Amino acid sequence: MAEEVEDLEDLFENAPCGYISAGADGRILKANRTFAGWLGRDTSDFVGRRFPDFLNIAGKIYYETHFAPLLRMQGFFHEVALDLVRADGSTLPVLVNAVERRDEAGHLRFIRITVFNASDRRRYERELLEARRAAEKANAELLELNRTLEERVAEAVEARLKTEEALRQAQKMEAVGQLTGGIAHDFNNMLAVILASINLLEKRLAKGENVTPFVAAARDGVDRAASLIQRLLAFSRQQNLAPAPLNPNEMVRNMSELLRRTLGGNVQLETVLAGGLWHVLADANILENAVLNLAINARDAMPAGGRLTIETANCHLDDAYAAEHAVNPGQYVMVAVTDTGTGMTPEVMAKAFEPFFTTKEVGKGTGLGLSQVFGFVKQSNGHIKIYSEVGHGTTIKLYLPRLYGVNNTPKPEAPEDTALPCGQEVVLLVEDDERVLALTEKMLSDLGYAVLRARNGTEALERLTTCPDIALLFTDVVMPGMNGPELAEKALRQRPDLKVLFTSGYTRNAVVHNGILDPAMNLLQKPASLDQLATKVRSVLDR
Amino acid sequence: MDIVRRNNVKVMGAGQKAMVFAHGFGCDQNMWRFVWPAFAEGYRIVLFDHVGCGGSDLTTYDAAKYASLDGYAQDVIDICHALDITQGVFVGHSVSAMIGALAARRAPDLFDELVLIGPSPRYIDDADYTGGFTEAQIHELLDFLDTNHMGWSQAMAPVIMGNPERPELGEELTNSFCMTDPEIAKKFARVTFLSDNRADLPAVTARCLVLQCSEDVIAPQAVGEYVHNQLPNSEFVLLDATGHCPNLSAPEETVAAMKTFLQGTPT
Repeated sequence: MAEEVEDLEDLFENAPCGYISAGADGRILKANRTFAGWLGRDTSDFVGRRFPDFLNIAGKIYYETHFAPLLRMQGFFHEVALDLVRADGSTLPVLVNAVERRDEAGHLRFIRITVFNASDRRRYERELLEARRAAEKANAELLELNRTLEERVAEAVEARLKTEEALRQAQKMEAVGQLTGGIAHDFNNMLAVILASINLLEKRLAKGENVTPFVAAARDGVDRAASLIQRLLAFSRQQNLAPAPLNPNEMVRNMSELLRRTLGGNVQLETVLAGGLWHVLADANILENAVLNLAINARDAMPAGGRLTIETANCHLDDAYAAEHAVNPGQYVMVAVTDTGTGMTPEVMAKAFEPFFTTKEVGKGTGLGLSQVFGFVKQSNGHIKIYSEVGHGTTIKLYLPRLYGVNNTPKPEAPEDTALPCGQEVVLLVEDDERVLALTEKMLSDLGYAVLRARNGTEALERLTTCPDIALLFTDVVMPGMNGPELAEKALRQRPDLKVLFTSGYTRNAVVHNGILDPAMNLLQKPASLDQLATKVRSVLDR
Repeated sequence: MDIVRRNNVKVMGAGQKAMVFAHGFGCDQNMWRFVWPAFAEGYRIVLFDHVGCGGSDLTTYDAAKYASLDGYAQDVIDICHALDITQGVFVGHSVSAMIGALAARRAPDLFDELVLIGPSPRYIDDADYTGGFTEAQIHELLDFLDTNHMGWSQAMAPVIMGNPERPELGEELTNSFCMTDPEIAKKFARVTFLSDNRADLPAVTARCLVLQCSEDVIAPQAVGEYVHNQLPNSEFVLLDATGHCPNLSAPEETVAAMKTFLQGTPT
C-alpha cells in the first residue's frame, strides 16, 4: 500500500507534464514538481494562488474572459495555447487542459489542470508560419518575376520582330536589285538583237539586198522581250488570267506528247492521273506553262536521265496545314511533278521561288520559271509546296482550289481557218503614243477597217459626236487626262450600242480586278501580233 | 433595420418591468443562464448579443460604428426603443457595465437601476488612477492579438466556436456558448481595453449597484471603488467570488446581491 502511494506520488510529481489541482474557488491546492521546475519555482509557491496568476497579461485576460467561463459552462477545456511566466520573467509556451470534478450532487470539488510544455510545438508553429510567410513572399516575388519576365519576353520579341522586319526589308531590296539587274540584263540583250538587226537592215536596204533574216531577228527580239514582260507580270501576279473550268487530267494527257519531246530520250515520263478528279478554275495556257516549266526544271535536274512523274489527286488541306502555310483550308486538286534528279538543299529550296534565282549556268535559265509558277498559283488562290532531298529528287506540288458544280468542260474549239478575220466597220482608235497609234492604224487598215484616230479622250468624244458610223472604240487604258475606262463610260452614255476594246501593256485595277479580266471589258494585251489583233477586234465587233 | 435579428434579442419572463442583460468581452448572452431565471417571475427578461458575438447578424458589423463603445451603447438604446422599454433594470458585465452607463447617460428614461458587474471605465493606469494595467501591458495584449495567429486566434477559435471533431459534447455547449468571430473579437478587445469613460460616470443619474469580485485581475477592487465613488447614486458590494465572472462562478451570490439591491423597487 505504501509502495503504491509512493508510486503514485512519483508519477504525480515527476510526470512529463505539469499537474495542478485547484479547489472550487480556483485556488491552487497542489502543483507538481515538473510544473514548479518549469517555472523555476518551489511547489509551495503555487498554493493558494490561482492559475491565471502565472500567465502573461494576454493569458490572464483571455483566461478570465474566455477560458474560465468555458470551463464553468462546459466542465472542461482542451489544448488551450497559453504562455506562462517563469520566475525570471521569461515565458514558457504551454498547452493547457482543464477539467472540473463534481460530487454526486453536482457540486464542484476540484479543478484539475494539466499543462504540456509546448516550446517545441510553438516553435514549429512559428517556423510553419514563417515558412508560410516565406512561401507567400516567394510566391509574390515569383508573380512579380513572371510579370517582368513576360515584359522582357515581349520586349525581346518586339526587338526580334523589328530585326526580322529590317532583314525582310533588306532582302526585299536585294530581290528588287536582282530583279532590276536581271531585267536590265535580259532587256539589253534583246535590245542589242533588235538594234543590230535594224543597223544591218539599214545597210542591206541601202544596198538593196535581202533583209528578211534581219526583220525576222528583230521580230524575235521583240517577241522575247514581250515574253519576258509576260513572265514578270506572272511573277508580280498581275498577269491577265482568263480562268475557265478545267480538268487537269485532260490537260496533262494533252501535254504528254509535248512533254515527251521536251524531255528527250533520257527521261522516262510517267503520268499517274487520279480517277474522278475534280475540276479547277484556271487559265489553261498558264497552267500548261507552269507544268511545262516544272518539267523542264526536272529534266535539267537529271542530266544523266531519270524518271519524271506527273501525278494528279484530289486532296484536302486541313485547318492546321492551311494556317501554317497561309492558304485557305478546303478541297484542292493537286498536280505534282516529281523527278529523280539532284534535289535541292534547304537553302536552295528557300530561294527557289525568288525571281532570277537560278542554279543553272549563265544563259541556261532566266531564274523566272519557278517564280512565275509561284505567282500563277498564288494568283489562282492555290498553294505550292516543294519536297526535295539532295541526291534523291524533288517533288513540286501545285494545289488549285476545287471548282464546285462542274462535271464536264466543253472542249475548246480547234482553230480551223488560218485566214485572218477582217471587217469594214469604222474603228475609233484612241492612243496617246504617236508611234503605236500609227502602227495600229496601219494594221487595222490592212485588215479592211476604216480607222478614225484620236490622241486623247476629249478628241475621241468629239469624233464620236461627229461620226455616227463608229462601231468600235479601241482605246488605250492609261492615258494622260481621261483614261480609257472613263472615256468608255462617257462614250457608252452617248452611244450605248458602241463596242469597246481596251488595250494595255500593263493593266491596272481600273480595268482588271485582282488580275482576272473583268467580264464586261474586252482587253487586248500589248504588244499584240496582227493575228491577235484581227481575232480580238472581230470577236468584239461580232458580239 | 431589424434590431431583434441584429442583436439576437430574446425576451422572456412574466414581469412588467424590463431587465436587460448585456454580456461582456469574450462571451455572449449564454453567460447569463444561471442568473436571469432567478428574475423571470418578476421581470420582463431581455437577453441579447453584441454585434459580432453569439447569434448576432455578423453582416451588420460596421467597423466605424463599433470603433468606440458609443456604437454598442446606441445598440442598447435601439433595443430598448424597439421593445418599448423605459424605467427598466440594466445588468451589464465587464465592458457592458460601461456600455450600459453610456446608454443610461444618453437616454436617462430607459433605466431606473443599473447593475454593474466588474465594471472598469479605464483599464490602463493613469496618474492618480489605477486601472490595473500599464499601457505597455495593454499594448502587449493588443500586439499579441494582432500577431499571434496560431497561438491565440487559431488555437482558441475551435475551442470557443465549437468542436466539430467532438460531437459528443452537447451541441448547445460546444456550438452556441461564447461564439465570437475572431476578427471582430480582436477589434472588440481593442475598443474595450483602450476605452476611457471615466468622465461619463458622474452624469449617470440612475441608481447603481457595483458588484466587485475578489481578485479580479481585469477589474481590480480599486477600479470598482473608483466607479462607485464617481457615480452619484451607487452601492458597492464586494463579492466573495474570485475572478471576473461571478455570474458564472458564483451565480447564487450574484443573484442575492442583485435582489438585495432591487428590494423595494417596483417590478
